[in-house]
Amino acid sequence: MKGTEPLLKVENLSVGFTAGKQVLTAVDQANLTIYPGQTIAIVGESGSGKSTLAHAVIGLLPGTGRVLGGEIQFEGTDISRSSRSKILALRGSEIGLVPQDPMSNLNPLWKVGFQIKEALVANGVASGHAADKRVIELLEEAGLPDAERRARQYPHEFSGGMRQRALIAMGLAARPKLLIADEPTSALDVTVQKQILDHLDQLTDTLGVAVMLITHDLGLAAERADHLVVMYRGRIVESGPARDILQSPEHPYTKRLVSKAPSLASQRLSSVRARAEVREQAVQTAAEIAEEVAQSDAEFGEGRNDIIVAENLTKIFKLRGAKPWQKVDFAAVDDVSFSLRRGTTTAIVGESGSGKSTVARMVLDLLPPSSGRVLFDGRDVNELKSKSERLRLRRQMQPVFQNPYASLDPLYSIYQSIEEPLRTHDVGTKKERETRVRDLLDKVSLPTTVMSRYPGELSGGQRQRVAIARALALEPEVVICDEAVSALDVLVQAQILELLNDLQAELGLSYLFITHDLAVVRQIADNVIVMQDGKVVESAAVSEVFDNPQKDYTRKLLDAIPGASIELGA
Amino acid sequence: MWWYVAKRLLQTIPVFIGAVAILFLLLQLRQGDPVLNLAGNKPVSQEVRNAIAAQYHLDDPWYSQMFYFIKGALTLDFGNTFSGQPVMDLIKETFPVTVTLAFMALLIDAILGITIGTIAGLNRNGFFDSTALVISLLLISIPIFVLGFVMQLIFGVKLGWTSPTVGGDWTVTDLILPAIVLAIANFAYTIRLTRTSVAENLSADHVRTARAKGLSNRAVVRNHVLRNSLVPVVTYIGINLGSLMAGAVITETIFNVPGIGNAAYQAIQQGQTATVVAIVTFMVMVYVLMSLLVDLIYAVLDPRIRYA
Repeated sequence: MKGTEPLLKVENLSVGFTAGKQVLTAVDQANLTIYPGQTIAIVGESGSGKSTLAHAVIGLLPGTGRVLGGEIQFEGTDISRSSRSKILALRGSEIGLVPQDPMSNLNPLWKVGFQIKEALVANGVASGHAADKRVIELLEEAGLPDAERRARQYPHEFSGGMRQRALIAMGLAARPKLLIADEPTSALDVTVQKQILDHLDQLTDTLGVAVMLITHDLGLAAERADHLVVMYRGRIVESGPARDILQSPEHPYTKRLVSKAPSLASQRLSSVRARAEVREQAVQTAAEIAEEVAQSDAEFGEGRNDIIVAENLTKIFKLRGAKPWQKVDFAAVDDVSFSLRRGTTTAIVGESGSGKSTVARMVLDLLPPSSGRVLFDGRDVNELKSKSERLRLRRQMQPVFQNPYASLDPLYSIYQSIEEPLRTHDVGTKKERETRVRDLLDKVSLPTTVMSRYPGELSGGQRQRVAIARALALEPEVVICDEAVSALDVLVQAQILELLNDLQAELGLSYLFITHDLAVVRQIADNVIVMQDGKVVESAAVSEVFDNPQKDYTRKLLDAIPGASIELGA
Repeated sequence: MWWYVAKRLLQTIPVFIGAVAILFLLLQLRQGDPVLNLAGNKPVSQEVRNAIAAQYHLDDPWYSQMFYFIKGALTLDFGNTFSGQPVMDLIKETFPVTVTLAFMALLIDAILGITIGTIAGLNRNGFFDSTALVISLLLISIPIFVLGFVMQLIFGVKLGWTSPTVGGDWTVTDLILPAIVLAIANFAYTIRLTRTSVAENLSADHVRTARAKGLSNRAVVRNHVLRNSLVPVVTYIGINLGSLMAGAVITETIFNVPGIGNAAYQAIQQGQTATVVAIVTFMVMVYVLMSLLVDLIYAVLDPRIRYA
């Protein structure tokens, strides 16, 4: 496959952003080579400079970004300093881009077909009717069924996966020699991700396009690319053949990545063993708490073994039908039953639209079920009439949400955010509450100095720790994590999962863990409920689901975990 | 799309009835005897009083009065002025002037505002942008009557480029100066809105994708920045047309333009309540229609609205 001459050669490239009088270096002395037809993957966490490197190659650095030094040789000529018109000639026709977020990368005001046609016309590939015909071929090639009708639709009529296919068609429209795929599937469900990446692989293989794949997922990178480049804080810390790097990583950062990547870690038996220890301890602590609850009258529940029981939960939403005045019933959740044992974790797994978050909202008593009921420690949640009863239920059940950027009030200091539930429930004096907040911060391993800071000053991982501290403030028995680690980088994700495990063992918490990512399930859960289209497909213990899945759909989900086929060293 | 249009049209009905109902209520709250009011506070004989009461349904219950009021508004029958001329005739006479004036102002506002705003937005923090911002701030802070008199003095009286007042036999050229004065207050806002909108869109993800496709800068700006930026601007300008017509009172008075604003002003001075109410009702109708039009243009510009 490899030609003799490299297609792209990046030499000692440094890229910086000017902020005031300071220059912040985002990419520092990077070197990499791509041969025609080769696929390489750049792996790193957010802020590692991987996207900046890619944007420098296609000359689309945002804002004040500029190349500080080094060369970008494309087919032998340095393009890092060439004129705007020269780079313009390269874009689209020589170097294509498939961007990250399919939701924001199509112009909402133009038909999808028109937007792809633009790429053809601008690069002189085709025009007029010929271009229209070509657009349909390209969409079909990208794996979009019913392409002729789809080309006449607007982006908002497309699902995320369909939009990403349209963006792939756009990136490949003028048959570039190099395709930069910037996290092309990180916003999509795992199964859709697999389909799209499979398709992209096959397409670029047949067309002989070289691919620069940018991703934060090491498992995915290793599965899709033969050559890996690992970036950390703007530097390339390691590069080489994918298998070599996975089996014998050299740089400490790469080592950590290899050991923590959920898609890889999920195969390890060590995570199962660690989980078993956590469970044993948690169940024990939880049993002690249950005994106390059963004996005291002041507590809310009855001290049962199953802290949450959901019976035949169903939620029906009314949707607009084909005619404006018609309504159609849509069963978002259809007859879902499960129970959560004290001190254990039950994971609800499913793709977007499977109804898993709706279940969480019903359990939290934030959404009344259409039928069925939720029992919290033996008491029907829906029958709680008085406000004080409801408040007591809320104390026992706390949520942690997906997006730590959106779930903390930006105008509240960290102290205020964590103290608010205590104030709402009239817990302690001001002094006691402060001690409690310090305590909680300590539990989630944050320094007490963050108390006076605001969410905007913290990183994603720190914010999620704050969200967990807030959830724990009222000493709940159940924590419901709705995609609590999905928005985080791999290493941060691993840290938060570890924290959740530690807290469970120490406090005897029970978790309901909602996620689309089967890979993390093995590290945190004991039981798994697989949901599809509002129904429970499979419900079993974790080891059973992973080792001996009963349903096709579960098998499909497991297959879609990237990197599942990769053998690991040590 | 058609469902959207139908829905929007249906929504206009309660808005209109609501607006007219409020006007009717205000009319009921006014002081004094309506018959005496109509007769100019001179003593009236019982027969005349009865006749007037019958003509204006004054003895009917309030809901029936309101029904007649709304019916009158819908059939464009607003009654007569003191001098016996039907109010509708007065509106017919004066409204075209106001419409012409408002459209001229709108045109100046849209063309200059969008052009300057776009250039400023494309070169944010540049010299042009900073100048445009300072000037627009100046224009916003000067009240329209100050600006009107100053412009009238400079261009009409001192330089003599146009006649300082318009008067009965108006031509389009006479209206240029008033139109500029009328446009200026809105125009400054249009610049600012366009500028922000363009600058925001310029850094949108889909614009970067468009560049990555290999589109030239011109094509990117035309298809992906301008059109997207215009959605909020068009809405703003459209709503303005309504307020331009309604708000022309000051400008029309300064330049003695025989428009509907001027007519309303004179009616107020003479205490002709019925005429004032009729004109206001008519303006409300125009305003409701304008916002309907804006919503339809909005749907044409943004496909997502059509399916909402």
